[in-house]
Amino acid sequence: MLTQNRYGAEIRRILQDPILTISLIFVILFVFVAIILPILAMIGASLSEEGRELFGHYLSTNAYQSIIFNTLVMGVTVAAAGTAIGFLFAYVQVKVNVPFKRFMHLIALVPIISPPFAVATAIILLFGRNGLISKGIFGVRYDIYGLVGLTLALSLSLFTIAYLNFKGMLQALDPSLEEAATNLGASKWRTFRTVIVPMLLPGFAASFLLLFVEAIADLGNPLVLGGNYEVLATRVYISVIGLHDSTAAAVFSVILLVPSLTVFIIQRYWVGRSSVVSVTGKPTGTAQQINHPVVRWSLFGVVMLICALIIAIYAVIFIGSITKVFGVNYELTLDHFNFVINGYGSEAMTDTTTFAIIATPLAGILGMLIAFLVVRKAFIGRGAVDFGTMLGIAVPGTILGIGYLLVFNNPITIALPFVGDNVPAITLIPKLTGGRAVFGGALAIVIVYIVRSTPAALRSGVALLSQIDPAIEEASISLGADNALTFRKITLPLIRPAFLAGLIYAFARSMTTISAIVFLTTPQTRIMTQQILNETEQGRYGNAFAYCVILIGIVLVAIGILYMTVGSSTGAERSLEGGT
Amino acid sequence: MAVSHNGAADSLLLNKISKIFPARGGGGEVTAVNSVSLTIQQGEFLTLLGPSGCGKTTTLRLVAGFELPSAGQILLDGKDITNQPPNKRDMAMVFQSYALFPHMTVFDNIAYGLHIRKLSRSEIKTKVESTLDLMGLRNLGERRPNELSGGQQQRVALARSLVMEPRVLLFDEPLSNLDAKLRVQMRSEIHALQRRLSITSVYVTHDQIEAMALSDRIVVMNQGQIEQMGTPDEIYRRPVSRFVADFIGRANFQETRAEAMMNGEATVTLLGQKMTISVAGSPKAGDTLVAVLRPEALKLRADSSLQPALVEQAMYLGSEVEYRVRINNDTLVVVENDPRASHIFAEGETVGIDLIPEAIHLLPK
Repeated sequence: MLTQNRYGAEIRRILQDPILTISLIFVILFVFVAIILPILAMIGASLSEEGRELFGHYLSTNAYQSIIFNTLVMGVTVAAAGTAIGFLFAYVQVKVNVPFKRFMHLIALVPIISPPFAVATAIILLFGRNGLISKGIFGVRYDIYGLVGLTLALSLSLFTIAYLNFKGMLQALDPSLEEAATNLGASKWRTFRTVIVPMLLPGFAASFLLLFVEAIADLGNPLVLGGNYEVLATRVYISVIGLHDSTAAAVFSVILLVPSLTVFIIQRYWVGRSSVVSVTGKPTGTAQQINHPVVRWSLFGVVMLICALIIAIYAVIFIGSITKVFGVNYELTLDHFNFVINGYGSEAMTDTTTFAIIATPLAGILGMLIAFLVVRKAFIGRGAVDFGTMLGIAVPGTILGIGYLLVFNNPITIALPFVGDNVPAITLIPKLTGGRAVFGGALAIVIVYIVRSTPAALRSGVALLSQIDPAIEEASISLGADNALTFRKITLPLIRPAFLAGLIYAFARSMTTISAIVFLTTPQTRIMTQQILNETEQGRYGNAFAYCVILIGIVLVAIGILYMTVGSSTGAERSLEGGT
Repeated sequence: MAVSHNGAADSLLLNKISKIFPARGGGGEVTAVNSVSLTIQQGEFLTLLGPSGCGKTTTLRLVAGFELPSAGQILLDGKDITNQPPNKRDMAMVFQSYALFPHMTVFDNIAYGLHIRKLSRSEIKTKVESTLDLMGLRNLGERRPNELSGGQQQRVALARSLVMEPRVLLFDEPLSNLDAKLRVQMRSEIHALQRRLSITSVYVTHDQIEAMALSDRIVVMNQGQIEQMGTPDEIYRRPVSRFVADFIGRANFQETRAEAMMNGEATVTLLGQKMTISVAGSPKAGDTLVAVLRPEALKLRADSSLQPALVEQAMYLGSEVEYRVRINNDTLVVVENDPRASHIFAEGETVGIDLIPEAIHLLPK
């Protein structure tokens, strides 16, 4: 009898609280319908008879094998380069005595807001056949299209993830470890090799794997910079948009899904558990910085060079948006902005911003709610809820898009039994995608924005919540507050920094995402990133850049507003750091 | 153990409660609390004492309602509260980590529960202010928890619970995060406060001195079960098992044989001296017994007629001297109080060892 009660008591406890029960059911439904169902539908489509034949064909044909190979090679090179750049920036920031650290930090954060295609296009204009730097300065007609260009564009767009990861780890590294090594007679280089790097190994693994997944899922850069270097993500896109072959798209998607999911699972269950950096909350002294002149200035030089490259890229975007034709005619013009703000692009601008504004708070709150449930409440399947939510970002966006097309292109209805045929079936979920979809397909796009943004909010929520003593919430309950009041008055204010981070990420991600929504836009819903793609494909770089500049502007304004409204300091952040 | 029902004085009653957790990392399960029954009287200060993992904190959390028992009942004033959610129980808990709300001022922390009870603003102000005064926190109301010292944080945590005037006050090792000196001071404050307000209190600690100083009654727990229950004096002087004797205070154990039994007293020979002393349980003549020799029950004397012992170690501690002496193959701990009054023996010296029969307790083996 006692054995049956192992989970029984916990479930009874949850069911006692109706708000908790409803939130839990809502979260489980959301994860299943909005994330897992589309992925399953996509896998199902790939396993049809036709699909199975295509699998055999693709996996045995040289041309297709090389696409798979290209994808994996690109993933590895981007992951390696991005991790290296991220580590370099973090190491210099935390451990090396150099000037302009604040500047380096800000430049490292800039790629968070990189509209798709913008970096790739700017790189072509700088390093392509008629590139400002390649031809203009060095006089070579260099062909940047392909693996080199992709690695450059993607690692510069993605290294921020690795940078923030390493920066946190290096700052958390107890200086007394280094002091102990030095005290035992180790040189700085030996300490670096035998103490710092091994301590950070899980960080290297995590960054590498994350960047790998992001790189192979990316659609924007290979479309612009790929040239003859074809990858799976572009194949999926061409199958849907060019060839209207959804089975082929599903098959390519599944082939792409295999490495993505494998890496995600390795990252989660292997690397995620082996972190050796111990956060004691009691720093024992201040870390010594590297002062060796050669090491110091050569690292400084490399970092500054990369900073210059990033600045150059964003400068091209800005200058391109206010000149007639970048690289040919530098006459100043406002035509491009006029096109976006007052002309054809204004609808895309307002639509995208509206959708992002709707999705952002929902993703933020959902992320915090799932984090709260997963960290604080014992229920069967909480691991599955966490995993399912993370799938929203772990699967490449194109895959999610195809899944939505497959599942939501017709309304999902349920026919009531025993009432005869003349009673219409009840619509559970209306038609979300394609022509005549509800809100012109806007609902599907907003849901995808939420699905893509919630995982980041969840992770930052989980990270912060697990540092907060559960006794603080228990104290509130012990004083008479119920779960809902405790969440609102205690938990949410305490995890506000994570909430803010989740909101910023959600807004930036929603505004810049392309792969997940590229199949979901309809004539009624114009999305800026989709327009940027169109303009880039037509070679109208000026318009594309104007879109990008406006997009960056909107995201910056939104971040400012979020900081002012959500980020006002209550002392909670400070006291958490102070270790009350 | 039978649950007593001696009328209105019973406040809190635990009837055969058990708690089983699924074992960490997969299959199996762990019985954290195993059929524990207790009654706590109105106004009583009861301490659950035991080593870590003995189930004392789980028992407290069951009382608070943070865990639901796998079996058994909990009654408060005769009402079954076993399945009542924690926020509906008229209890308040003081946490080991204080669990102050870091984003609220001291005042708001203390007022939190009163707001939930929907008291009027003026009533809240009066109550919070009088509690601030009571706890010596006047003028600190506008501070935030991280601007307070450890002792002040502890007082706020206590004030936040006290202001609720709960039927039962629960303490989860509240002093373990304080430094030694502050711990002694807070201990005495809690003692004075509880006696003055006579709030029924359940206190969890692993510190036996804290337990003895504060409690009306101590419940010693081991492996999820109650090992012994009684006043501090009973627990210290008449432990029912070697575990209790060892856990409460320091003790030397000597095996011996009951040469004769009469009226619950056994005649034994200890350190060469024959004596008749009371024994727990009901052993028969000829049974092996364990003698509990508290360090203060032993005396070292420069007397060669006594059992000789070699001083292996002598540590001067100010108010006492702690010796480790060797007799044959045994090492005994002897504490000499008030070193000024007696000679301090040196390491390597051979001395005679004497004992005080009244301070010795016998256990069945």
